Amino acid sequence: MFKWTWKSLSSQRGTLAGSALGIAFTFILVIFFDAVWRGESVQIVSYPDHVKPDVWVMQSGVGNMHMAMSFVWDWKADQIAKMPGVKRVTPILYMTSVVSAGKHRMFAFIVGLLPDAKRAGPWKLTAGRHIGNPQEAVIPDVFSKITGIGIGDQLRIVDKSFTVVGLSSGTYSSANSVLFVPFADLEEILSSSGTYSYLLVDAKEGTDPNDLAKRIRDQVEKVNALTQKEFVSNDLSMAKQMGVGIIVIMTAICSALAALIVGFTSYSLVIRRRREIAIIKALGIGNDKILISVIVQSGILTFIGFIMAMLFALFVMPAVPLLLPQLTLAVSTPALFQIGLIALVVAVLGALIPAWFVSRLDPATAFHI
Amino acid sequence: MPEPVIKARNLTKSFGSGHTVVVAVDNVTLDIQPGEIILVMGPSGSGKTTLLSMLGGLLKPTQGTIEIDNADITTLKESALPEIRALKIGFIFQAFNLLDALTVQENILFPAQLHAGGINEARDRADVLINQLGLHKRRNALPQTLSGGEKQRVAIARALINEPKVILADEPTGNLDSQTGQEVMMILHDIAHEQGYSVVLVSHDPRVEDIADRILWLEDGKLDDRQQERHKWSRDPVCGMRVDERTTTIKTEYHNKQYFFCSDKCLQRFNADPGQYTK
Repeated sequence: MFKWTWKSLSSQRGTLAGSALGIAFTFILVIFFDAVWRGESVQIVSYPDHVKPDVWVMQSGVGNMHMAMSFVWDWKADQIAKMPGVKRVTPILYMTSVVSAGKHRMFAFIVGLLPDAKRAGPWKLTAGRHIGNPQEAVIPDVFSKITGIGIGDQLRIVDKSFTVVGLSSGTYSSANSVLFVPFADLEEILSSSGTYSYLLVDAKEGTDPNDLAKRIRDQVEKVNALTQKEFVSNDLSMAKQMGVGIIVIMTAICSALAALIVGFTSYSLVIRRRREIAIIKALGIGNDKILISVIVQSGILTFIGFIMAMLFALFVMPAVPLLLPQLTLAVSTPALFQIGLIALVVAVLGALIPAWFVSRLDPATAFHI
Repeated sequence: MPEPVIKARNLTKSFGSGHTVVVAVDNVTLDIQPGEIILVMGPSGSGKTTLLSMLGGLLKPTQGTIEIDNADITTLKESALPEIRALKIGFIFQAFNLLDALTVQENILFPAQLHAGGINEARDRADVLINQLGLHKRRNALPQTLSGGEKQRVAIARALINEPKVILADEPTGNLDSQTGQEVMMILHDIAHEQGYSVVLVSHDPRVEDIADRILWLEDGKLDDRQQERHKWSRDPVCGMRVDERTTTIKTEYHNKQYFFCSDKCLQRFNADPGQYTK
């Protein structure tokens, strides 16, 4: 029976290939959207993940960086710097804004750095230098690649112009890139004085970051202090909250599409072979075996589509950012397992209507064909 | 008298209801003996295929009972019928109905998956059938490459693979030329008379009458034994088929005796070596 199932399926190579490609395409879409979302999520925490202080200090009630606003009085930085176990405090000013460069626009995290605060600045420069003078900026190298804005070019943040002096790596994301400017310029843009946004606190060796964060919360008025792990985790969960709904919907749509393709293909194969199905029913093959055959057929189609999607995910998708540098893709093993599970469900769902048709097919029609 | 292989009693099949009811088979009673060839004839729409479908367990009668090899199939659950069809009945169709993706050998073995020994134990039986039916050179061929006669021989081998009690054949010569049709009739004749299978044939082809032991006429759903006094039967000395002396034109005289043949092929064989057939 399996031989018949496989041979009759493989004898229609065009249908088999077309359907498997269609199924693979929907699975690739699911993997791709998931990879984009995960890649963007990783990029959202790229800054805190790389500057990596032991403890983040921010305004009380604030717990992350993405889409947040925080103000901490400058004297509190001095107070924290004097606490036991604190090695260094690096303040930054921070805002989210649209950066304009000619006709190009970019939504960015703008980090204002004090002259001696390289520790909180770009972690890898691919061209140019760090900011050193007023109205200088370091921008993501990918943004430079996409727009052609390079070193020496001008860009605008709110009402202030900056000259690009450096290009940084790993700071671009289509949702929010990281851009570095002098502290004083950002202070002017924000019309603020005597405040910082976040304090990056490095602990002395042997100091427990959890203990230090607790002491800061207890001893410094109206501030929140979180360890690096907690801070990044908060930002990541914020990113997930923002994107997960869309990803779930996209996954559901693509899965439904895959089920429809499998169902339609299996149904059309069954319709095309109803003569043979009536014959094998007349020959004594029971409904149960034919139903299994239909499910196996649907499973084979889905499996081929799944394998094609996996090959794409493993060998083609990693090359996509080379062609489209603005995309950050992160293909994850759980996502691939998830596709495996979806494929299983799709195979069963895709077999339902053909199976219903098969169960109703009258074997006596074998005499009339 | 041996026990009939099929005992059909008061079989009725109607379709529709109320004013639109159509009685396709009306109160038919029929016994089929082992090794007997029964030909069911009748005009189009007379209920022949409906009767065949009921005898084959493909269609439930509205009334009446059918016993195949002492098992009343009318009382069996729907789910039990496939096994009866697979093991007790062999089907031969007008359109051959082979499975296109499978080779000759695979087609023949296909129903064997339902036999107790499965496909592996059926391989020897398949080899015998393939050789008997002259298909040994076409064993691995796909149906689309076969001639009509070869297709029907494959269908016959498939019908016989599980060694059923009854062969039900619907217009088995309907899609074949006369020569090939004749060959197929000879095969059916041989499997009934030499191997003991009961064969029920539905056909419009009057040549099939030649091999039938009994001819039944079905009209408006009712069955009658056809009058056969107008025939004068004798045996073809080559194939043993029954031949009507009054109508056949294929005959010869040998040692002052007339011999009648079912086909030119048998006559040629006879002329090649008459002594072999007149001992």
